[in-house]
Amino acid sequence: MSVLFAILFYLATLLFVVGLLSRIATYARTPAPLKIPTTPAPTTQGGVVLRMAREVVLFESLFKANLWIWSMGWLFHASMALVIMRHLRYFTDPVWGWVVLIQPFGLYAGITMLIGLCGLWVRRIFVERIRYISTPSDHLWLVLLIGIASSGLMMQFATHTDVIAVKSFFIGLMGFNIGQLPADAPLMLHLFLVVALLALFPVSKLLHAPGIFFSPTRNQTDNPREKRHVSGWGKKMESES
Amino acid sequence: MMKILLSVLLFASTSAWAADSSAPKLDIGKGGQCVEDTQWMRKNHMHLLKHQRDETLRKGIRDEKVSLKNCIECHASTKDDSVIARDDSFCVGCHRYEAVKVDCFECHSGTRKSAWLQQRNAK
Repeated sequence: MSVLFAILFYLATLLFVVGLLSRIATYARTPAPLKIPTTPAPTTQGGVVLRMAREVVLFESLFKANLWIWSMGWLFHASMALVIMRHLRYFTDPVWGWVVLIQPFGLYAGITMLIGLCGLWVRRIFVERIRYISTPSDHLWLVLLIGIASSGLMMQFATHTDVIAVKSFFIGLMGFNIGQLPADAPLMLHLFLVVALLALFPVSKLLHAPGIFFSPTRNQTDNPREKRHVSGWGKKMESES
Repeated sequence: MMKILLSVLLFASTSAWAADSSAPKLDIGKGGQCVEDTQWMRKNHMHLLKHQRDETLRKGIRDEKVSLKNCIECHASTKDDSVIARDDSFCVGCHRYEAVKVDCFECHSGTRKSAWLQQRNAK
């Protein structure tokens, strides 16, 4: 069982890293032929960085568009960020100081993450026009994340696992030594779902994470008069003529 | 391609099978037979301690089977009579490894009581 999980984690990590990098390479090469920042847009590069930061950290445009979807979405994303940072304790030895500090908050974040996810799923199921446009993958990703969160919380609040053994398994894995993983059902489920998440990430809607940085409506400066916008292939054609 | 990858992984894993784990090496003190089996204690010892807090402190029910004093009696180091004095002390080793705070010893003593009594009587 431990060997199976070790192989799954190596493969999933490989797929995640290679898949994500190749996706990012594709995004970076995709031409943006038009100047289409959503106005009002910043007129300087620094302003664009600031706008993107607000978008990524606070979900500004969603906040302006729909307050209750924002509240659920932001609650989920912010909580998950904390939860992931808390999980660094399983991959670092000795554990970094700031990771030690956030341990108690990460625990509450696990609960708020689940609340956010359930809220988003309720929206998909009960809001008529959202249900109409929801694809199976929209539902399945929410189910997968709910599964990860609830199996994780289960280990905290219902049946514990041997966390020392879990950590030494993963530290070992990082140095290509395969140790023993405790055979507890919630842990198996948790890890299996995480493997699925890692492996499927590069072919999924979750690519909005790197994708947002390449969104022309958000990453362009509003300076069409000051500086003529020509895309890469456009420039090449100009020099040929 | 997949087959090659799998066989390489399998080879790497079996060759490194006996490698040392990063799990903390603990000074378990006297050790011996615990109130529950080892694996159960690894996962659930906090509930016994919390049980003591709620049952004993708040309701006044004393049960010799589970008591923090007895934990310390067996598991304090034979060198310095403490469960918290060093990085490899019985409580500290794992709790530091997992970044879990030990609240017990903000109020309770982490020293073996019999040792403490001995020291006091010797004076």
